[in-house]
Amino acid sequence: MSAAAFARRIDADVLVVGAGIAGLQASLDLGDQGYRVLLVEREASIGGHMIGLSKVFPTMDCASCITTPKMSAAAHHDLVTTLTYSDVTSITRVPGGFEARIVKRPRYVNEDACTGCRLCEYACPVDVPHEFDGGLGARRAIAVPFGTAIPQKAVLDLANCILCGKCEKACPAGAIDLLQEPEAIEARARAVVLATGYRPTPTDAKREYVAGRTGNVISGLDMERLLAPNGPYGRVLRPSDGKIPERIAYVQCAGSRDETLGVPYCSRVCCMYAIKQAMLLSGALPLADITIYHMDIRTFGKGYEEFYQTARSMGINFVKAKVARITPRPDGDVDLRIEHQEEDGRVEDVRHDLVVLSVGLEPGDDVGRFAPVRTDRYGFVRSADAALDVTGTEVPGMFAAGTALAPKDIVDTVAEASAVAMRVAGYLRRSTETADELVEVARG
Amino acid sequence: MSVTTQDRSLAPVRLERSLIPELERFGAVDVSACFNCGSCTAVCPIGTEDGAFPRRLIRYAQLGMRDRLAASPEVWSCYACGECTQSCPRDADPAGFMAAARRWATASHDHTGLARRLATSAPFATVFITLLVGALAAFLYTAHRPVSGREIALFEYLPATFVHNLGIAILAAFGVAAIGGLVRCCRTLSRVRPAEHGTRSTRAIGEAVWFAVARESIAQERMRRECADDPGVEARPWYLRRWFIHAATMWGFLGLLVATIADFLLDLTGLKPTGVHVPLWYPVRLLGTLGGLLLVYGTSVSIVRRVRKRERSVARSSVSDWWFLWLLWFAGVSGFALELALYLPDAPGWGYPVFLFHVAVSMTLVLLAPFGKFAHAIYRPVALAVLRLRSGSGGAPA
Repeated sequence: MSAAAFARRIDADVLVVGAGIAGLQASLDLGDQGYRVLLVEREASIGGHMIGLSKVFPTMDCASCITTPKMSAAAHHDLVTTLTYSDVTSITRVPGGFEARIVKRPRYVNEDACTGCRLCEYACPVDVPHEFDGGLGARRAIAVPFGTAIPQKAVLDLANCILCGKCEKACPAGAIDLLQEPEAIEARARAVVLATGYRPTPTDAKREYVAGRTGNVISGLDMERLLAPNGPYGRVLRPSDGKIPERIAYVQCAGSRDETLGVPYCSRVCCMYAIKQAMLLSGALPLADITIYHMDIRTFGKGYEEFYQTARSMGINFVKAKVARITPRPDGDVDLRIEHQEEDGRVEDVRHDLVVLSVGLEPGDDVGRFAPVRTDRYGFVRSADAALDVTGTEVPGMFAAGTALAPKDIVDTVAEASAVAMRVAGYLRRSTETADELVEVARG
Repeated sequence: MSVTTQDRSLAPVRLERSLIPELERFGAVDVSACFNCGSCTAVCPIGTEDGAFPRRLIRYAQLGMRDRLAASPEVWSCYACGECTQSCPRDADPAGFMAAARRWATASHDHTGLARRLATSAPFATVFITLLVGALAAFLYTAHRPVSGREIALFEYLPATFVHNLGIAILAAFGVAAIGGLVRCCRTLSRVRPAEHGTRSTRAIGEAVWFAVARESIAQERMRRECADDPGVEARPWYLRRWFIHAATMWGFLGLLVATIADFLLDLTGLKPTGVHVPLWYPVRLLGTLGGLLLVYGTSVSIVRRVRKRERSVARSSVSDWWFLWLLWFAGVSGFALELALYLPDAPGWGYPVFLFHVAVSMTLVLLAPFGKFAHAIYRPVALAVLRLRSGSGGAPA
């Protein structure tokens, strides 16, 4: 492709792919050390999964409260350039670093003009299930992605737009631009950090759980939204009929440690997020019975075992049993079939009125598609060395951090993001010195 | 220990590490893969009635509790529908474990060690069975007489009394082996949990026997009712459903056995000497023909399925599965070949060898019945009756 085809060309020291908590932390740490960072995000807002969570374990910090400062800091950092709603289509090695091709998808809203006033949103007559709330709430066909989104710029969802033109009339800034085209951007960077994150495993993967997929079987991420202060209902209600749930169940390993799903690995976060949610639910619904069905509880981090013991002492039931089958009842309740192996071994259909599938983590993107790195059999980026060089890849100058490498929690992800920033800084320093030496040698 | 057993006695339990490799020789895939989540037990369509399996039995195996596993009648409850294997998060194949445990139990009830070798070594089974069929055919051949005439006259070729006497000897051998096995089976079942075998009312025992023999073994109630075929092939017509294929094989075999014995009795009473030609509608012959058709149909479908391996329930076949099926199939098919020879003009020369083969295969089948897959017909009713008694008229498990 000729250079003319690229409307824009961005030069940076480091290209960071993915603006979840890993990408944000790495970008901030690199920016603070004086490196120019280009941070590219697929979604319309930075923040990743973390900005959608209610609270985070084990500190029980409000997720919005600790994520938004990072988002805001990255977005306003002098040395960090942020591209949202953009896909990295290829990263290739070139002399002196990498060349990346990025496509910025059209928002059909002029980002420079939009002030985030939301008048378009109020004018739009089309309601669509809101992805940010796991489809439990609604948004408009043109909308700012969510309340704490950065940038606060509307996105027009052309697939659902009826082209009525109301937003265009309502917009005081004249920002609606239905003729926007995808923008091709060429970026050059000396190093790359892959922070492509994870995707929750699908809730319909297990055959025995599919029949139960009525409104009252939700995923752990859906429950995060129900528990979040800015969630779809503002309180915890079960989706099918708005009943206040009284018998809530967690189905652990609903997407992990299961050969029939092709995910034999442990996703590491599900035990802890289920315990955390159960504790939050005990606060939100003091009368509800909460049961966590598990194969075993894995609380490996600092303070995690104490967290688990606190949950037990709060009266949350922990039952060792793999839920074998989920069957809906006509009244919206759900039966979970288990073997009471800690009791007499009887098999029982236990009735619950809201069931949370503790889904696991799978790779957020097929990184091998656009970057010259190797992935493992599940699609996670392969480290250069699984023990001693976790954040490095087999490609010099290309690094990775967070759940792009393997399932891990926020605590570990943030630590790894800072670690990768340090590794990148060292790499850039070294290659600069080498280049200077070469120049000196050439000057003779 | 309280987690995995219902046993409240404090009797010491012997743990043997050799149990896992031993079960693996009988075809269990990877016993240690199981991490005891209990998914298999909870999905099992009959696990609710007959107590908790397969998980508990796999646990016994993992801990090396040989006596406890041998004393678990649940081994014989399983219909091998494959539901547990389908949902096992560890790919530990619980249904395959149950099948291996049945072969293992059959072998441990057998005094001679023959069942063990027939179930664990394909070369041994092949050579032994071929030699046995050959030896029986050769022995029969020693009694043959010259035959004249243009039509095949089987019992001119081999004297009926000779065949009958050999048949009775084979049946007697079968009886000795079967009774010996049954005695050992009952002793094993009652050894570990004697406390649970208190005095029962005659009525309860009668009910248990009725359940085990009539409702479960003959009518196969639960196999028809609860053990669905593999997911994805549920839309099959009745004549291709698993329960029907099993019923065809079983009723075909029983029909042939009854017809053979009835023919002998007719000969004894002088009503119809063996070898006298009768028309097709003659009850005994009709029974034999129908039985043969069912048997060949059932075994052929089973063989094709085991070769194709499309369903989870037949994904893994053991030596025992194969030799039992092939013997049944050869017995049925050679019987029809014989019928064909009788109707063909000019007495085809292969008629008599096929006759020898048919008789030899049928006798081998009966002789080896207590040592292979057929043994479930012997042990299963006993085990089910015991389970029924323990659970108290089939309500909640003990």
